[in-house]
Order: sequence, then C-alpha cells, then structure tokens
Amino acid sequence: MSTNIAESQTVQTWLVGVHEQSKSSPEADAKRVQVLAEFCIIAGKQPDEIIDDCLRDVDGGKKIRVKGRRFYADKINEFEQQSEGTAGERRQKANYVRSFLIHNGVLIQTSPLF
Amino acid sequence: MGGESRSEVLHSSLFIFHPHIAKGGSRVEFKEVVGRRRSIRYFLPWKPVPREKIQIILEAARLASRAGNADFARAIVVERDKMPKADLQALTLPVNAGMIEMAPVHIYWWGDLAAFRRDMPARAREQVDMGVLNISHGWTHKFINEVAYPQVVQAFSADPVLNAKVTGCESGLAIAQALLAAVDEGLGTMLCTYPEAPARTVFGVPDSWTVLWVQFVGYPAEGWEAGGQRPRPPLGSLYHEGRYGAPFRSSEEVVAQLQSQKMLQDPAPLPWRRDEVRAVSRMLGLPEE
Repeated sequence: MSTNIAESQTVQTWLVGVHEQSKSSPEADAKRVQVLAEFCIIAGKQPDEIIDDCLRDVDGGKKIRVKGRRFYADKINEFEQQSEGTAGERRQKANYVRSFLIHNGVLIQTSPLF
Repeated sequence: MGGESRSEVLHSSLFIFHPHIAKGGSRVEFKEVVGRRRSIRYFLPWKPVPREKIQIILEAARLASRAGNADFARAIVVERDKMPKADLQALTLPVNAGMIEMAPVHIYWWGDLAAFRRDMPARAREQVDMGVLNISHGWTHKFINEVAYPQVVQAFSADPVLNAKVTGCESGLAIAQALLAAVDEGLGTMLCTYPEAPARTVFGVPDSWTVLWVQFVGYPAEGWEAGGQRPRPPLGSLYHEGRYGAPFRSSEEVVAQLQSQKMLQDPAPLPWRRDEVRAVSRMLGLPEE
C-alpha cells in the first residue's frame, strides 16, 4: 500500500473540501491522511479506488454504487470497532474516513454516539 | 444505547443555543410558529417525546382541509426504541440514516389512493345533511349521486396521475399541519424519504396506500433557529397578480409587521452556525468536517 496517498486526487478533493466547507484547520491534515491510510490498508484499496467503488459515471454526473457504499459503510464500522482508544476517539477516526467519502460526493450517515 | 457522561456534559453546554424552546407556559402565536418552522436534522436521541404531543400532532393533521372530506392522509407512528432493530434497518436509507437513529419518534406518512373514490359520496351526503354543502351552492344528494361522484370523482380516481396529484396534495395539507403542530409543541421535526417496499412489509399497510414522507419528531439538539430562516425567492417572483408574469406586489409595511410578529426572521446563516454544527456533531459523534 502506497504511503503517499496525500497526493491522490480524491485526498486532495477531500482536504480542499474540509478547509473550504467546514473551515477546519489544515494543521490536522497529516492526522487526517494518516487515519485514512490506516483504513486503506484494512480495505486493501487506494483512496481513488475506494471512491471508484462507490461512484460511477453517468450522463451528466456521478451515480452512487449502492453495494460499494454499503460495503465501505460496514468497513468503516469495523474500522471504528477495531481501532484503539475511547469510544469518542474511535468514532473520530472513523469519521475522518466518512468525511473522505462525503467530500468526494458519497453521501453517508452514521448513528449518533450516546 | 446507554447514556454517556461525555454526551451529557456536552449537551449541557449546548443549552445556550435554545434559550427559549417554545413551550412550558405561554403559547407561541400562529405567525411565529410558521416563522420558527425549520427542518431540524439533529435530535436529542435520549429524550423521549411525550405521547400527548404526538396525539396533538396527529389531531392537527386530522383537522386539515381535504377534498370531499376524504381520508387521504394516513400515518404509522413509531417509537424508535420500541421498533425491532431489523425493521429500523429495513427503513433506513443513506439520506435518512442519521435521523432514524436520532429521532425518538417517526411518523410514516402515507397517502390513500382509494380515499377519494371510497369516502367522497357518503361524506359529501353527510355534509349536505349537516348544512356544510348547501342548495345555495348547488349541492344535493341527487347531484352527488348522479353527477359529482360518477362524473367527477370516479373519473378522477381512474386517472392514476390525477389521483396521485390529488392524494399527494391533500395529504400534504395534513402533513403541513402536523409539522406546525410539532413546532408549536416545542419539538424539532423534519420530513424525509423512506423506502416503500420494505415499509409495506414492516407495517403491513393496505395496497391502496402510497408512500409519502417520514416525519421525524424529537427535541432539537440544535437551536430551534437551526441556523436561521431558510432563504426563499422574493414573493413576487413566486406569486403573481392577475396573470402570470405580473409579480404580486409586496408591501414594506406588511413585511415590517411580519418581522415584528416573528413570522419573518433572521435569515440563514446565523453567524454562529458553523460552530453550532461542529459542537452538535461532536456531541453526537457525527462527522464534524
């Protein structure tokens, strides 16, 4: 698995979106990318491949691949459960990955933590 | 689902965002209820909705205007925590997943495509007898039996497009009142989609019912302003006077009156909205960025 995922197009799209829409600090980008890299190892896919698995080209735009999104939603839940730390820390890591999908156009929601 | 002190601490810090959740003693006036209505997308998952409030919401829907006094709008009320997990999952879509788990009460709205044809004749005759439909406007049992029902209602109901149009419109009137009643009760509420085929299996509804919206109901985890009143195009660009293309003229005095009566409110985005969303998302463990 490449460790240079920060240069991939989907990661760049993600980080630009995070800064623009959510006004989040770029200082945490390294942490964001590191968590995504951990997830990529578990998934056995590169970031661009993950998005390709979730979206396909159609006339005039993109369409979500339902099976792909479901697969990665489950995979993120597994990632959250298997990560170390408190429930809040595990959730934050999983939410970095969800954020990566969301900013690349893959609508995904999760249950509240309470 | 067990309470976590982390959530409770964060929630207590958020009370600042809803300093005057409507209810308690004084009632909010109608215009302010209209002005306060927003689609609330963050609910306090742990705070149940009193059953009385749900009854009030349903009563408001029941009393809505409806053609032929027919029973178009139907609903299945669900308390999230009493619903089998598998059923909740069957009703979950990517766009409703968060609210399904956050909102303690779901009202699954359906439209009855058989309502007009089934209910109109008897209800219309009843209204003649009650003095609602009168000779002054041409209404008699004979007119209903020989003209209105066979010539209008049956023809209307036989056309699937027209039938869907009238069923959707009439049900929407009921749903709109249900939304406003929820706001009047100090609750957060919003409409979302839900999948028809699984819902038919889960709820066992009659074949003539068609899926409309799910209304999520709960106490808002975000401030009731939810970031401010949503932007709408100017009145005159939507509504016309006399003919299409002639904008309805809006009076500045009326605008000022509605502002003072809180029907017209500060527009989104309110300056603290991003901070609020981030804090609420953090409290609930949802993606923040």
